[in-house]
Amino acid sequence: MTEPTPHDDALAQRIRFGDREALGVLYDRYASLALAAAIRVVADREVAEDLVHDAFVAVWRKIDKFDPERGSLRSWLLTVVRNRAIDRVRGLRQTIEVGEADAQSLLRSGPNPTWEAAVERLSVADLRDAIEALPAEQRQAVELAYFGGRTYREIATITGVPQGTANGRLRLALGKLRDALASSTAAPLGAPEPLPVRETDR
Amino acid sequence: MSDRMGPLDHAAVDELGAALALEALERDELNAVTEHLESCPEPHAELRSLLGAGDVLAASLEPVPPSTGLRGRLMRTVSTTAQEHVTAATAAAPTDEPAVEPRRGRLFDWFSPNLARGLAVAAVVVAIAFGIWNVSLQGQISARDQALRAVAQAIASGQTAFRVNGAGGAGYLVADENGTATFVGANLARLNANQIYELWLIGSDNKPVAVGTFTPSTDAVAVVPLERGISGFAVFAVTAESHRVDAPTSQPVMTAKLGS
Repeated sequence: MTEPTPHDDALAQRIRFGDREALGVLYDRYASLALAAAIRVVADREVAEDLVHDAFVAVWRKIDKFDPERGSLRSWLLTVVRNRAIDRVRGLRQTIEVGEADAQSLLRSGPNPTWEAAVERLSVADLRDAIEALPAEQRQAVELAYFGGRTYREIATITGVPQGTANGRLRLALGKLRDALASSTAAPLGAPEPLPVRETDR
Repeated sequence: MSDRMGPLDHAAVDELGAALALEALERDELNAVTEHLESCPEPHAELRSLLGAGDVLAASLEPVPPSTGLRGRLMRTVSTTAQEHVTAATAAAPTDEPAVEPRRGRLFDWFSPNLARGLAVAAVVVAIAFGIWNVSLQGQISARDQALRAVAQAIASGQTAFRVNGAGGAGYLVADENGTATFVGANLARLNANQIYELWLIGSDNKPVAVGTFTPSTDAVAVVPLERGISGFAVFAVTAESHRVDAPTSQPVMTAKLGS
């Protein structure tokens, strides 16, 4: 009666109904990925494991805030991990609220087909190659933003360029990355359905 | 820096799309961009095509297996951690008294499946004996005895029992080889006068199917045959509703995972 490899949305539903075993399945599926992301940000395995633990506990506690219409469970989990890790490094909020943490998820109306397809169909090496193919200054800007939690204004200061240049590097980088991955996966260039009005309780 | 800035036009919002996707906006810009997008009739397709890019960056990292003890630590933590929506549902229930506050001294708290199997035959004997005693003295079997008998007889006859628990009470869902099932609950939270419990089965499509309603007996016990078999379903759940509904309007107060 139980699916051998339940889809993430089914896992989310089971977790919502208090099924701890489903959380265990989710952990088995994504803990290694989450830990890699946390280590990349905090550069400390012990701290990273604490963050991963806390992120999964947050998923358990706040699963009701997860909306599969707006993105994947994997994406939500990794956003929680990443934001907690950045907050830890930068000494900001010690306990970030899930939902508040993922502002862009509020603007999504569904998983973005380009990025989702790339993650599901391409290997880690392929994804890394695509990122490394970016010009060095664009890759640096992207990594400072995503793994360093830096705003484009801070990136401008760090790299000694005008703010418009730093922002432009981010735009160019993501545009190139999107196009490269779209051609690799033959996925549609991803614009999901029109934006919904943000729910007031999220 | 202030968290407020003036309204942005379409072009300015699009310019900040990549920074939005990478969460690299200052708070004031984030607020301005989101406010614009929430009300803007324009599609902003280019901007939206960038949202989610962080997933690729995270997925480009070589996975790092966690320490062997981390999973166990997590499971221990969640075993004592309440889910917010369950807590909220409990707190928000209409009250003269809490609608899903479990009672103390739960009938099934000690009743693990293994223990149940070992005690099944004895339980049947005891239950029947008490049943006869009750019949002779009271003219009827108490609901609590009826519940015990249902579980014990089901297990003794080789049926499957799935543990059901949650803030609303505890019990078992017992099913025969054909999937015909009965919910046996005990220590059930008392509901307000205008409420009932509704039973649900949920399959891989995540759509709850209503399979019955009940109100607990005066001693907080219920024995409720399900209106359809459990074959093909993954989760059993109980919600508190104001009347029978086609889809749950509240979070479950008890659940069980079906399957081995």
